[in-house]
Amino acid sequence: MATHAEPGTAAPASDWSPYPTDYTSWKVMAWMGPVFLLAFFCLWGLLARNISPFPAWAEPQAVWDHYKNLRLPIMIGMSVCLTLTACYMVWSVAVSRVMERIEGAGGLWSKMEMLGGTITCAPIMTACAIWLTAAHEIDNITPGMAHTLYWFGWLLIDLAYFVTSWQIAGASIVFMRDKREKKLVPNIVGWWGWITILSFFVVSAIPFVYTGPLAFNGVISFWIAFFTWFFWIPGLSYFIIKAIPRLQAEDAAAGRTNDS
Amino acid sequence: MVVVTTERVKPRRLPGVEGIWVFIGADSVIFAILFLTFMQDRAKDPALFEASRHTLNLNLGGIDTLILLTSSWSVALAIQALKRDLIDQVPRYLFGGALTGLMFVVSKSTEYFQKFAHGLTPGTNPFYMWYFTLTGIHLVHVVLGTSLLTFLWIRSRRGAYSSSHREVPESVASFWHLVDLLWIVLFPLLYLMKAA
Repeated sequence: MATHAEPGTAAPASDWSPYPTDYTSWKVMAWMGPVFLLAFFCLWGLLARNISPFPAWAEPQAVWDHYKNLRLPIMIGMSVCLTLTACYMVWSVAVSRVMERIEGAGGLWSKMEMLGGTITCAPIMTACAIWLTAAHEIDNITPGMAHTLYWFGWLLIDLAYFVTSWQIAGASIVFMRDKREKKLVPNIVGWWGWITILSFFVVSAIPFVYTGPLAFNGVISFWIAFFTWFFWIPGLSYFIIKAIPRLQAEDAAAGRTNDS
Repeated sequence: MVVVTTERVKPRRLPGVEGIWVFIGADSVIFAILFLTFMQDRAKDPALFEASRHTLNLNLGGIDTLILLTSSWSVALAIQALKRDLIDQVPRYLFGGALTGLMFVVSKSTEYFQKFAHGLTPGTNPFYMWYFTLTGIHLVHVVLGTSLLTFLWIRSRRGAYSSSHREVPESVASFWHLVDLLWIVLFPLLYLMKAA
């Protein structure tokens, strides 16, 4: 049988999941990371005008006008993004399964990555729902309420960063521990993960500032914190998508037969 | 005449563990973005930035620069000693690096307390928002680097590193030189350069 698995590099049998492996579904799930990113960037970011965000220092009437003028694009962007954010959860499961092949079935960090990725969806979805409500109900709410909803969404989507940090930390730790001669995910992705985690911490300042680099639309809290994460997702996805056929070849070379 | 040599050329490698230079490169790019954004904001209100700059303690800033340069030098000597297998010298140089790192933390904290005592906080004006943000993020780097140097110092006392086992010390040293380099840019940018 033709295989490109290197001899002696396959994981020991104890690291295999006892369940059958559906490689096709696994690959499709791995592609959900880029799908999420594309949807989030285009719909939440560009269509709903969150790249760049309406400023943190904006007065209630300006926020109300913003939602009134952009009601339709914000509604489309937020409602579709709310739905497609689930793709991030699906991707996290695919990443977790690759991690298990390094860490062992049911590994602690693999579970952490999967839970971190899944729970990351919650604040994103809820924030999208809040901004969708603001746009949908703009004719029935006061400028003060529009301002409140706008800030509520930003505080939620930003300050929940630590959940995602645990996801990234789990993935970075496990992939950097990979003992294969040619790692499934190279160390550069792990190091980029640490940069992403560090860039998130400064976001904690957003409730206290309205202008400057630390405001939620500032160079650190928005441009650096969001974009390091935006680069981490496709970077990791690329190697996860490439890792699955490698693992399939490892299984075939080792005579593993429980693939469906 | 053609000279044929059988001597094999050793492949050149970057110091440190695989991937550390991605971290250092990304960190440098992030700081470069911050420096550029600071200059952009300064250009919007040069009078305010210039007036605020004069309230900074130039002496403490200069002392901080000397401290970090000394620290970087000490760490470079540690790596040089490691490469030559002068294992006995490594802990003392690393200790020097960690100690000077700690001195920087004390000096910067003193400067912060002075500012707070005069009622100057990040909320005072855009200059001070930038001053506390840039120096604060740099200070986090110094604390991290000092902790790592302390860890190396403890391990080196047990003989954990040698010329053939120096990837981790090289990684920390590379990071520490970055911390030094960032301050070398920060000091003139905040303390010395005229806004207008």
